[in-house]
Amino acid sequence: MNEKTVSTGYRIELDAFEGPLDLLLYLLRRDEIDIYDIPVAHVADQFLKYIRRARELDLDIASEYLVMAATLTKMKSKALLPTHRFDGEEEADPGAELRRQLILYRTFRMIAEELQKSEETWTEIYTSPGERERWSSDKTEIEPGQTSLLDLLKALSRLSEGEPELPSQRIQRTLLTITECIGTLEHRILPGRTISFREIVGPEPERLKIVSYFITILELMRRGWINCHQAYPFSEIELQRTERWSVDS
Amino acid sequence: MLILDRLAREVEALIFASERPLSIEQLCEYTGSGEDSIHQALDRLNKSFLDQQHALMIVEVAGGFRIATDREFGDVVSQLFEGRKPGKLSRAALETMAVIAYSQPCTRIAIESIRGVNCDSAIRTLLERDMIKISGRMETPGRPLLYSTTRAFLEYFGLSNLDHLPRFDEIEELLGMSSSELEERDLFGTGEE
Repeated sequence: MNEKTVSTGYRIELDAFEGPLDLLLYLLRRDEIDIYDIPVAHVADQFLKYIRRARELDLDIASEYLVMAATLTKMKSKALLPTHRFDGEEEADPGAELRRQLILYRTFRMIAEELQKSEETWTEIYTSPGERERWSSDKTEIEPGQTSLLDLLKALSRLSEGEPELPSQRIQRTLLTITECIGTLEHRILPGRTISFREIVGPEPERLKIVSYFITILELMRRGWINCHQAYPFSEIELQRTERWSVDS
Repeated sequence: MLILDRLAREVEALIFASERPLSIEQLCEYTGSGEDSIHQALDRLNKSFLDQQHALMIVEVAGGFRIATDREFGDVVSQLFEGRKPGKLSRAALETMAVIAYSQPCTRIAIESIRGVNCDSAIRTLLERDMIKISGRMETPGRPLLYSTTRAFLEYFGLSNLDHLPRFDEIEELLGMSSSELEERDLFGTGEE
């Protein structure tokens, strides 16, 4: 088998599998491997090829696949290394746990298929009285003790889904741009004069005004157009124009 | 043509008029007959439905008898429930369902160790669709939630009760093995004495 024919076999992507065990079972079936006699090295290589391929495609690889890749690699290295046995020590079969997992998963997957067949049949059968009543539009009365927390949560989410439009009110956002503030300050911070921040924003200013002017002050300081002075924390901020204001603007 | 006897017609009337599925015990009580007679009456009823080519039959689902439509009319009848009937379960949900059905009550970790993948969303789907319920907590550190199947599960898959799940000896064996292995390995140390 050359590399090209191998790569065409990788058309199936990881998304098609229900996890690493599903992928492993696929590989065993594809290569006609007996689940009771798994060639660890071969299976590990095949599994890793899939993971690499998925990586090349930039697929998101679920961590479970990476854990399995690591486990298989470890098993492979153990299988390749010569083992030292001590008297009376039973060598654990490294494949035993994996085999148990695979057989268990395969069995449940088979049951899932059986369930699917039943689902197929029973979704086409309608019974009365029965669960079909669940889907009828009229609600049946619920007796105490019949509801669970989940019912309440479901009811709550239904409520928020079908919520009629709440009375709304449009709130106009007032914009006060830094440029506007600079324009205003040009006439307030006059050469040779000192003005406090409190004077700039005026009595009982809105929050927006305080924030906008404060940011403007920071901007002007950055540009070096004003000097600020504060005697101690939280005291009045005194502002003075510098030479650069007239030069730069 | 088969003429139905009094008992069979009483059973038919009871099942038809009942608000909820009637159990075999209830049918015995209301008709004053024994279980065997009821089962025979049900057989005669179903035979007459069949003979006369009715679209109906009587089935036992989730421990109760109901009148059911023939599969053949699934498409026609489904129109009644359009938009209200939920879609089929995904493979992940079916696998999770299988594990819970056979090893209930069981924890999320137990399900995930069998499937080898995260099962959060599958469990959520099954809870939302009432197929499983939280049946308690395991008294181990962290007190994980335990999940069990519901009546809706039996109804959805047309099972009369949990004993009617197909038997798989392999599972009992494998599940049993895993727990004894766990005991040896985790609970009692490394096994060296």
